[in-house]
Amino acid sequence: MKLKHRIAIILALVAGSLWTLYPRTVVERVKRDGVFHYDTVQRVPLKRGLDLVGGIHMALEIDESKVVVPDKAAALTNALTVLRNRVDEFGVAEPVVQQVGNERIIVELPGIDDPVRAQDIVQKSAFLEFQITDETDALTKALPRLDGIIKSRGLGLAPGARADTATSSPAAGLGSLLQRDTSDTARVAADTGARDTAAATTGGPGALSRLLQAGTIPGEFMVAAENVGAIEHYLSLPEIQAALPPGKVVRWSSDSTVIANSVYRPLYVLDARPIITGQYIQDAQPNQDPLEGTLVTFELNNEGGRQFRRETGRHIQDYMAIVLDQRVMGRPPVIQGAIGTRGQITMGGQDLAAAQDLALVLRAGALPVPLKIVESGTIGASLGQDAVEQGVRAGILGLALVILIMVVYYKLSGVFAVGGLVVYALITLAVLAQFGAVLTLPGLAGFVLSIGMALDANFLIFERTREEMDAGKTSRAAIDEGFEHAWSAIIDTHVTTALTAAILYQFGTGPVQGFAVALLAGIAASLVSAIFVVRTFFLIWLHRTGGTKPVSI
Amino acid sequence: MLRVLHNTNIDFIRLWRISTAFSLLVILPGLIWILVSGFHYSIEFTGGTLKRIEFRDPAPGVGDVRAALAAGGLPQVEIQTFGSPNELIMRAQDPETVALQDRGAEVVSRQITAALDAKFGADAYEVRSTEGVGPKVGSELRRNALIALAIAFLTTLIYLAWRFEWRFGLAAVLATIHDILATLAFMKYMNIEISLFVVGALLTVIGYSLNDTVVVFDRVRENLKKFPKTGLYDILNRSVNETIPRTVLTGSTTLATLLSLIIFGGSVIRPFAWVLLWGIIIGTFSSVYVASPLLLWINHKWPRHSAAVGRADRLAQATRKTERDRSVPAR
Repeated sequence: MKLKHRIAIILALVAGSLWTLYPRTVVERVKRDGVFHYDTVQRVPLKRGLDLVGGIHMALEIDESKVVVPDKAAALTNALTVLRNRVDEFGVAEPVVQQVGNERIIVELPGIDDPVRAQDIVQKSAFLEFQITDETDALTKALPRLDGIIKSRGLGLAPGARADTATSSPAAGLGSLLQRDTSDTARVAADTGARDTAAATTGGPGALSRLLQAGTIPGEFMVAAENVGAIEHYLSLPEIQAALPPGKVVRWSSDSTVIANSVYRPLYVLDARPIITGQYIQDAQPNQDPLEGTLVTFELNNEGGRQFRRETGRHIQDYMAIVLDQRVMGRPPVIQGAIGTRGQITMGGQDLAAAQDLALVLRAGALPVPLKIVESGTIGASLGQDAVEQGVRAGILGLALVILIMVVYYKLSGVFAVGGLVVYALITLAVLAQFGAVLTLPGLAGFVLSIGMALDANFLIFERTREEMDAGKTSRAAIDEGFEHAWSAIIDTHVTTALTAAILYQFGTGPVQGFAVALLAGIAASLVSAIFVVRTFFLIWLHRTGGTKPVSI
Repeated sequence: MLRVLHNTNIDFIRLWRISTAFSLLVILPGLIWILVSGFHYSIEFTGGTLKRIEFRDPAPGVGDVRAALAAGGLPQVEIQTFGSPNELIMRAQDPETVALQDRGAEVVSRQITAALDAKFGADAYEVRSTEGVGPKVGSELRRNALIALAIAFLTTLIYLAWRFEWRFGLAAVLATIHDILATLAFMKYMNIEISLFVVGALLTVIGYSLNDTVVVFDRVRENLKKFPKTGLYDILNRSVNETIPRTVLTGSTTLATLLSLIIFGGSVIRPFAWVLLWGIIIGTFSSVYVASPLLLWINHKWPRHSAAVGRADRLAQATRKTERDRSVPAR
């Protein structure tokens, strides 16, 4: 290859790398104060990982303790789509939602620092159903039978019931509530247990019916707050579930109400068949109403609107419960006339942020299966900033030390090597940018480390060249021999390192993969730089001096 | 021309007794200690929760924080200050907590936050980072790390077997095992927690240590061709001496970058850099003092296809191929 061509190739490589790394203008869709903004930012097209910018990451799997999922692959694909929509609506720059392996979805939200909110957004099922409250007094009629079952099978609350109620409680996910819940239930358990025995001996009213008071609308029951745990426990028993009236479901209200200074939690008996579900929702918006407080208004699409109108027309003067994730939202309103495409969900005492999040998940669609967080992490932005500074500082010091060693030890050849190192660094970063690799802290470490290793090829070549010169060869011959003989060792060292890096990539997760990718890119760039770029520098030098002077090495 | 260790003629192989004694001194106590008390694994491998928080002034003492967590039902959380007295690391890694996280990896972290909020208020501190790992992910990572180590080992073995004669490969692999054991012992002495990142460092050490050995053996192979009448002992010594400047230079530049990582790299990088630092020192040591004596020993033990016999064949082949070899870089 002619010297001219070599120089042209190197210039092209450098120009291409610089072009790849040149800051670009990108438009980012970011949500601030509930409104989407389109920000124009100038940025080097190197993606930075969560450990450098801060943010939240989660790994989710289908929670099979709650449901049996026949087709997991399809369910996961659906969940992935829903999560994408939700995260998109959440409005963060450069989020990641992707499936890894067969059963896991990872979500990365850069710049977000409220884990509880983020976890709710990805985990909330957002399964919306409209169900008519029971008009037939089905539960009241079934109560004597249920009481009988409890009595005859000795299903009164036992100390062992604690764990059951804790898991069936929807608040169980909230660690803080868990503690309180459990102790509450335990107290209730001890309490009712004692009263149960009393009831059994004195022949008083049944265990279940004693705890329920009929409410003011059909299908409504009021449960004193201290009895909620006990009822939950009874309803979770398989024997009771089997004996519940067919075609009906029992659902808790999302809020408590205060009647005559005591707190009650409404319990509703509903027709099992929903008149419509949330799948027809086309838009949902948070809102605040002076009378009803926070609410979410929603709009159904045409198909949903037709069905809603038809069904509500059939149920005039009935009460309709709006059920979100098996909780009745607000008090079921009476149906005055056929309702079209618009409706609203009252949120009780919750704040506007909660309404925003609910509107978001309603728009994005319901999760087909419950998801469980199997791994989660939060990195504060300040920590990420520190990490960047540390990485850059370490990189600069490392580089300075290396340049010092090279130039002092090899003089002019050392300068050539440093020139090769510059090309090496440019190529490595450009390759990382080109393949959309994410730069993480371990990646920075891998990059810094590979600087030391990239020079290994130069050492092999230069030391060999020195040996050849000692043997009395001319500069030109010695350089040629140096490159030629070092070749086999260079290939071996690069291949072995590349193999380990590839394995790291295959079996590692996030940060370790970042390290492996940086190492792999570095190895490729190091080959090009040592064998081609540095050699060209020598050829230029030989061309300039005519090869008569001994090379400064 | 500035030179280190130029034209040395040190009889490295003769020192094998001393080097073996040194290796055993480093490795054996560490291995026994590991067998007795095991390693300290990070939450990535065991499952659990790690939370790093920074208190605003005035910072409560560790005892107060411990009491707050105990009141919140988390007496088993380990608490350490980190850097300044304001910064704390909390680690919940006991089996009970891990089992709790099977329900959701975020459960314990929320419990910690609730307990801290109850005692100090949510504004008293800032969460710098949180990591919650469920038990399933933990055991998965454990398995993957082992597989990765095993495969890294096997592939390099296969590569060496393909590139070199099996004796060379065996010697290189044994030297690498030596390096791994010495690095594990070092990790035990330094009480370095085994995290995914540290396993990455261990894999890098494998690669680096093989590199060093490969460079020496590459020269041995060349010298065997060049000096057909010399015995393996002298060839080995000659090759080690010839490659020693490169070994030292590569070692020192890599050490320089590692030192900068240790000094400036921060707490996440530091354990990783320490493991690599030691691994590179031991890898350089082993390529000189362990791999070559091992090769000699293997050659002595299985001499039938020894270098002395095989050399004649290879020499004959080499002369036939000289022209081609000179124009095409050696494979």
